[in-house]
Amino acid sequence: MWLPLLGLILGISLGLLTDIQIPSVYENYLSIAVLAALDTLFGGIRAQLQHVYDDKVFVSGFFFNIALAAGLAFLGVHLGVDLYLAAIFAFGVRLFQNIAVIRRIILTKWSERKGTID
Amino acid sequence: MKKFQNKPSRSILNKRIIFSIVCLVLGFMLAYSYSLSSSKKLNGEPVSSTYFEQEERYREDLVQQKERNKELAEELEARQLQVREIEKSLSGSEEKYEGLINEAEDLRLLIGLLPATGEGVSVELEDAEYNPESVNPNDYIVHESHVFQVLNELKISGAEALSINGQRLHANSYIKCNGPVITIDGQPFPAPFIIEAVGDPSVLVPSLQLSGGVLDQLLNDNIVVTIEEKSKIKMPAL
Repeated sequence: MWLPLLGLILGISLGLLTDIQIPSVYENYLSIAVLAALDTLFGGIRAQLQHVYDDKVFVSGFFFNIALAAGLAFLGVHLGVDLYLAAIFAFGVRLFQNIAVIRRIILTKWSERKGTID
Repeated sequence: MKKFQNKPSRSILNKRIIFSIVCLVLGFMLAYSYSLSSSKKLNGEPVSSTYFEQEERYREDLVQQKERNKELAEELEARQLQVREIEKSLSGSEEKYEGLINEAEDLRLLIGLLPATGEGVSVELEDAEYNPESVNPNDYIVHESHVFQVLNELKISGAEALSINGQRLHANSYIKCNGPVITIDGQPFPAPFIIEAVGDPSVLVPSLQLSGGVLDQLLNDNIVVTIEEKSKIKMPAL
């Protein structure tokens, strides 16, 4: 149970300590990748709460979404089309949807529990 | 993360390792982007986007200033036009005032309120020598009509002031025949009559000498006429 938390802390410290300067052109990719990662994370939490969670789907989705978003942005830059907007839009909408679903599930559970206690 | 499975089996360990990798990547990405953005803020180096923003702002400022300049230039033009119009109207009114003043001066001269001096003309009308052949003495003496003719001609030609034998004429003067003398404003005057006019001699003299004009008619009536240009004539005010 402590292993993922350890990984998270390790990752954060690594990220804070890294002093690599990347070209400003690729900053867009990073932000999109972060968005994709957050989206997948919340998707995983939602799936867990809905009891449809699958390891393979989650992990593959995590990495594949990041790669896809970055690749889309890269393609967009080279084609002269702002394709990263599509990624931002899609992930943003899904992020909000996921969070909304999570909130509802948690609310229902909470009210159910309250009902049983009462 | 199925908590209800108490004993950690191999698959669960695998899952945990995978999860930790995922968490590591996520944490790394979040922290890296965070540090990147914060370092950017700290450095305050001219980042391309802010640089562009600045440039954009300056450009907008420039455009605004240009527009303002244009507006001000137009306003200046309009104001200058107004000033010019005002000046024009001022000069016009000055001319008008001058005209009025001149007219008033002329009218004062005409009614004899002002003493008149200047160059002018004197016309002497004299009875002809006694002609024994002529039965009617009217044929060779000066009548008031002759005087009228000369006076009218001089007035038409722009004489400023007139006098007969030193008697200044004004707007309401009257001349009447009174036998051998003519009466001007109640004063009798015998011949010869010296009519003096203040005015431009180069206008007055030719106007009298027009062919078929006053001079010819007077000569036709056997009157001795002497026209003389004078460089200075003085007439007192009435």
